[in-house]
Amino acid sequence: MTDAAVRILVIDDDQKIRQLLRISLKLYHHTVHEASTGQEGIEATILHQPDLLLLDLGLPDMSGLEVIQQLRKWTNTPILVLSVRDKETDKIAALDAGADDYVTKPFSMGELIARMRVALRHVPEPSESPVFETGDLQVDFARRQVRMAGALVQLTPIEYDLLKTLVTHAGKVMTRRHLLREVWGQEHQDQVHWLRVHMSNLRAKIEPDPANPRYIITESGVGYRLLDE
Amino acid sequence: MRRTGRGYTYGAAVIIVTLSTLVCQLIRSFFAPTNLIMIYLVGVVVVAAQYGRGPSILASFLSVAAFDYIFVPPYLTLGVSDTQYILTFVVMLLVAITISGLTVRVREQADAALERERRTASLYAMSREFASNRGIETLMSVAAHHISDVFDSQVLVALPDASGQLVVQPVPDAAPQFNTQEHAVAQWVYNNAQPAGLHSDTMPGAEGLYLPLRAARSTVGVLGIYPREKSRFLPSDQRSLLETFANQSALAIERARLAEETEQARIQVEMERERNNLLSSISHDLRTPLASITGAASSLLENNETLDRDSRRELAQLAYEEARRLNRQITNLLDMTRLESGAIHVDKEWQSLEEVVGSTLDNLTEPLESHLIQIRLPKDLPLILCDGLLIGQVLINLLENAVKYTPPGSSIEVSAFADSCEATIEVADRGPGLPPGEERLVFDKFYRAKPGSAQGVGLGLTICRSILDAHGGRIWAENREGGGAVFRFTLPFEGTPPEVESEDGITVI
Repeated sequence: MTDAAVRILVIDDDQKIRQLLRISLKLYHHTVHEASTGQEGIEATILHQPDLLLLDLGLPDMSGLEVIQQLRKWTNTPILVLSVRDKETDKIAALDAGADDYVTKPFSMGELIARMRVALRHVPEPSESPVFETGDLQVDFARRQVRMAGALVQLTPIEYDLLKTLVTHAGKVMTRRHLLREVWGQEHQDQVHWLRVHMSNLRAKIEPDPANPRYIITESGVGYRLLDE
Repeated sequence: MRRTGRGYTYGAAVIIVTLSTLVCQLIRSFFAPTNLIMIYLVGVVVVAAQYGRGPSILASFLSVAAFDYIFVPPYLTLGVSDTQYILTFVVMLLVAITISGLTVRVREQADAALERERRTASLYAMSREFASNRGIETLMSVAAHHISDVFDSQVLVALPDASGQLVVQPVPDAAPQFNTQEHAVAQWVYNNAQPAGLHSDTMPGAEGLYLPLRAARSTVGVLGIYPREKSRFLPSDQRSLLETFANQSALAIERARLAEETEQARIQVEMERERNNLLSSISHDLRTPLASITGAASSLLENNETLDRDSRRELAQLAYEEARRLNRQITNLLDMTRLESGAIHVDKEWQSLEEVVGSTLDNLTEPLESHLIQIRLPKDLPLILCDGLLIGQVLINLLENAVKYTPPGSSIEVSAFADSCEATIEVADRGPGLPPGEERLVFDKFYRAKPGSAQGVGLGLTICRSILDAHGGRIWAENREGGGAVFRFTLPFEGTPPEVESEDGITVI
């Protein structure tokens, strides 16, 4: 987990979840504040200036989406969304509105902590850190080279762009629209099948077992995530 | 009913008298005039038998006149030279009239008997049709058909709705003249279980006669009869026959009602039973993992001091895995509920099967640990049009089943192939396989290979089938050569994936 102690704000109307999170996060010496409604959450954000927000989408007074929209007007604080399965459209909307990542309830602590860590991480510019490494995968931005277990991998420009976008946001989920916008541009943000085809090609080249991917994970119904632990 | 048009029959009478005259003329030389009278009497009998009272009276008079005119001197006058003939004439006329009267009555009785027989036959036929028919609509059109036929009327059947108001039921040849006044008469008949209308003591000015349909327990409705010829309608013996028809119909309708009610009750009981089964299955399958979780967690609480590190870890792991399993159960049940109520929305997109499989494996890491999983997907498998989440659920269910029913360490293979119209995906195992003959039954709700033994409501495969149905695909199971079972499902291609923009082949070094 992160070395620095951070201030975390938990916005969830379920008291037990807040308790669970408070106990678990305190283990890492974080300061945990709580809010049980959207309005309280917004006020608490202003008051406590947390480093990270854990936001439940199913709040009693306003939708989690509205909270995100309001907060994003004036703050870039990382927001992690907690939501239920079968609400994929809600998750996508939340991510598009500015949330950084999500966990699906019921979630495991390990998953949550990993995503929190990614969200809190300072994102290095490619120029700051020209080489990205995780497992056997190595991406050299300066030389535009990709290696898998030391061996060079030949990627098409689109495949490289895809991989670069995922690496830039390593560990975070990227919605399909976001990826399409980044690689193909605004006007093609709905061509989901393009994304699938190229993703499939990319996986074939960098994954040891494309059907059981280790690096690029599909977040069903939402988008993709490059794992980097 | 014989229709007797006046002109026609009287004309016939004249013709027959003429014929009699001709015959007499022919045999004149051989017989005395008094014997020729017999020929005329025969003619009168014929007219009486065929054409009824009026014409036969006419024939009687005409016969006497003709006899006088032609065969009694002075010939060709209506005068009489021998006064004996006056007696002859009188007696002849009397006899002719009497015979005609008798013949007409005989004929009428014969007609009446024939008519009664016809009606009884119709009543019998109607009863038989009632016995073999089930639905109330059919019964009513049978009744209407027979009654309108036998009584030469238009017929209407009205049954009460839930509040006791009469509603006219559609039958063929329905009477058109049913207005609010008639409706009021009919409603009165229903409420009071007494006949009313035409030819009755109550409201005789109505357009039709209304009879209550009285069955064993209650009045089931009203029969309305609109005779085509009001004046000739219903002498008393016909009335009782009509009431018999009505009673038969009422009994048949009541019987059909009761049968419907019994069927409804039976269906209710069946539904209750199924619902109770479902509920107890669900209760069991949700509580089982919950029991493990509660047990593990409470054990950790109770024995926090005494448990060693490894045991604590094991218990926590157990609780975690069972919680994941419970989540999958709940997903299945929710999917089932949504599918049954038609609420599921199939969101088809062009998916990479590889991706769908990848997600599935992600969801099942723990259960799959115990087996050897082999994925064989062709590199050039095209994109498939389907709902990724739902098909992922199908794969989860198939893989979970494979893990459940096969020995640990055995292999489970996932493979696929495609032709021009559909893609086929297979999940094959090396377990005991399916009981022969039950390959289709496994997809039924609540089916379980070994009753009471395995986990799971048994809904997994049923959900798979519903999902495949919603995609227009098929799913089936077979036993495999070399042992084990293979589950296959197909997803049809609808059109081709839209074109992917091509890249020039410049690669990055």
